[in-house]
Amino acid sequence: MDRKVYTVGKDPVPGKLTLGAGESFFATFVVEEGVSADVTMEVDLVGEGASLDLAGVYRCSADERVAFHLNVRHLCGGCTSRQLFKGIVGGRSRVVFDGLIHVAPDAQKTEAYQENHSILLSGEAQVQTSPQLEIYADDVVCSHGATIGSLSEDELFYMRSRGIPEAEARQMQIQSFLSPVLGRLG
Amino acid sequence: MDNNILLEIKDLHAGVEGKEILHGVNLTIRRGEVHAVMGPNGAGKSTLSAVLAGKPQFTVTSGSITFAGQDLLAMSPEERSWAGIFLSFQYPIEIPGVSITNFMKAAVAARRKAAGLPELSPAEFLKLLKSKMALVQMRGEFAKREVNVGFSGGEKKRAEIFQMAMLEPVLSILDETDSGLDVDALKIVADGVNALRTPQTSSIIITHYHKLLQYIVPDVVHVLKNGEIVRTAGRELVDLIESEGFENING
Repeated sequence: MDRKVYTVGKDPVPGKLTLGAGESFFATFVVEEGVSADVTMEVDLVGEGASLDLAGVYRCSADERVAFHLNVRHLCGGCTSRQLFKGIVGGRSRVVFDGLIHVAPDAQKTEAYQENHSILLSGEAQVQTSPQLEIYADDVVCSHGATIGSLSEDELFYMRSRGIPEAEARQMQIQSFLSPVLGRLG
Repeated sequence: MDNNILLEIKDLHAGVEGKEILHGVNLTIRRGEVHAVMGPNGAGKSTLSAVLAGKPQFTVTSGSITFAGQDLLAMSPEERSWAGIFLSFQYPIEIPGVSITNFMKAAVAARRKAAGLPELSPAEFLKLLKSKMALVQMRGEFAKREVNVGFSGGEKKRAEIFQMAMLEPVLSILDETDSGLDVDALKIVADGVNALRTPQTSSIIITHYHKLLQYIVPDVVHVLKNGEIVRTAGRELVDLIESEGFENING
């Protein structure tokens, strides 16, 4: 399968996609440190067996503004969509994740998943996440989840007590948090 | 000065969240000795181990700790580890996404760097890892697992002793390592600890049971109650505690 990687701010991101029967789109968005960007994407799944798999990783350390506006519409039954967005938000940066999954009335056997998880590194960083599901069909499997947390102090002390320096331990925590998305970059 | 003294705690007052838990602890440990610190729940045993390892949430309000001639309280947790302190956690922490191998690679590399030693080659590291896993009867796939994630109680404690073996500490502190262990796991843990003993290294075994002390025989036994060491004696104190409980043992 074609696995696309978009470096946000450099690569043009398709604003609108339509996936027909059996078509698939697999992409990972990377927002590097220092990059402010707005990723807006609409995807319509219109043919049976269409499959969408989106993921994103963001690392903000200063005063970046990053926004994702994703609108996934299951207009036909028997399609699958997955979204996994994870990031680290520090400094005074702000991240907005705004994701809508719409399942049309006759789009039975839809599978749709959406997750957004962020780690805040500072008291001044902000994340606003609003995952939304609009489901009008009854035979579907859909889930969404969002968390905003901080790096575990217990983990950090455990690593340091084994001699791993604080900065390196933090990096290991961040890497392990992001690994489900970073693993897609190959 | 007695060069044989490894750890000297003097009039230690310490606590957490503004509440004093240790009210003047004195403890001297010489090289080669095994000390047991026993006491009822809430006596301050875990506070003592947390303070020795440098857990940031705990504050020392007065007193001193000297470790191998250095001011331990001035050192960060990682510096204490490099100097040879190892704490086996009562509740080992799970680290999702980090394998035992990568965790130990980072720990061993940092320690060797601090000691001015060259990095181990991948083959050397693997050999070390396998020999220490064998010590606590861990099998091959163990090294690939995420640190403590999904481990049973016994596996977590064995994994602590494995880490201890990897890091070859000068002072090991075993905080309630026996809690939740069945006899087989207890023997594996005790055999591992005993195999690592040298005339230059010492251990503090923190426990409220006598069970582990049947397998790791202490030279000195302390009873910690209400934040103070109320009695210090030889191993015979373990039997006294076993028959009479902690209630009647006072200063």
